[in-house]
Amino acid sequence: MFKRPSSRRKTHQGGIVLNLVPILDAMVTLITFLLFTMSFLSLGSIESPFPTASTKQIQEKLKEKPLQLTVTLKESGAEIWSPFNKIAPKKVPHNPDGTPNAQGIHDVLIGVKKQFPKENSIVIIPASGNTYDELIVVMDSFRTMEAGDPPIFQKNEQTGNDEPLKNLFPNVIFGNLLGDA
Amino acid sequence: MAFRRSIQSRRTRRRIQKDFELQLTSLMDVLVIILIFLLKTYSASTTNFASVNGIQLPMTGSRDLPPDSLQVIVTPEALTIDNQRIMDFVQNAAAAGSDEAVYQFNPTSLDEGGRRIVPLYDALMKARQRAELLQVKSKARDAQGNPLPFEGVLAIQADKRIRYDTLRKIMYTAAAAGYRTFRFLAMKKNG
Repeated sequence: MFKRPSSRRKTHQGGIVLNLVPILDAMVTLITFLLFTMSFLSLGSIESPFPTASTKQIQEKLKEKPLQLTVTLKESGAEIWSPFNKIAPKKVPHNPDGTPNAQGIHDVLIGVKKQFPKENSIVIIPASGNTYDELIVVMDSFRTMEAGDPPIFQKNEQTGNDEPLKNLFPNVIFGNLLGDA
Repeated sequence: MAFRRSIQSRRTRRRIQKDFELQLTSLMDVLVIILIFLLKTYSASTTNFASVNGIQLPMTGSRDLPPDSLQVIVTPEALTIDNQRIMDFVQNAAAAGSDEAVYQFNPTSLDEGGRRIVPLYDALMKARQRAELLQVKSKARDAQGNPLPFEGVLAIQADKRIRYDTLRKIMYTAAAAGYRTFRFLAMKKNG
């Protein structure tokens, strides 16, 4: 007696058709949501506090005589100086098109940072005719070290290792906000 | 003849309807790619800053992302706060028709010797009162259980042609209204 063949052999199995419509609905909803809520404007920011100083703070400052690194943008060029004569004043002439020479200012500031590696603040005194574009370019040159800059090392007090600095003078303060209108 | 053709076309139609299945696989592929792209770029866009038409933002190398705060938009034509145009600049007669962005404040909109912009000050004070009211109602408290102090941060998004004398007036006015930290916004380089 032969065994009866399995009935499974006879059953015809057609290809399984996956129903993609609900997944498609979910994806379209998700994409629409993302497109509506996402921002295509990629913004960076530079923070600056309004300068405030009490009489007591000013008196302490006069005793300590800090660096108070200052960059004044004038019609002819930029002047880098310290009110307490901690550094020799330097002048950086503007570019031929009359815009501030951001690279020249940056190079001078690297020299200052080597002298005062713990200093993080810088005061900017722009001229009234400087444009927002010029201010952003100049502030960028104050704040960050670029790839081609010579490395400046500072001792990390926590680890005890010398580490290269990433920022030059990240705290930018406007020095003439309270000046004449 | 016509009857036979009608039956034949009906049969063909039935056969087509029975056999026809929309191939969604390729469409799914495209949608998955779009979805992945959007999800990858979405993480970089956590801020909610709007802009206005025609503004030319400068480029910055700063990698700092601006957290959400009150924003003032300065174009050569007007000042805008929270999508509300609060003040128009006036163009002087000499600059009419020139390409240069020449604009000036209406003298009646300035006080304190030309330093403070009155409509901006009023708008900032209203925004500050709103923010302080929200902080009082908020559950977030400091260590003593008091409402969190007013942050006083103002984001400034200005056209690249705006001059410093205008920005200085805006910053002075903002400081007078209690906004003592400024965030200058610009387009990220390579971003």
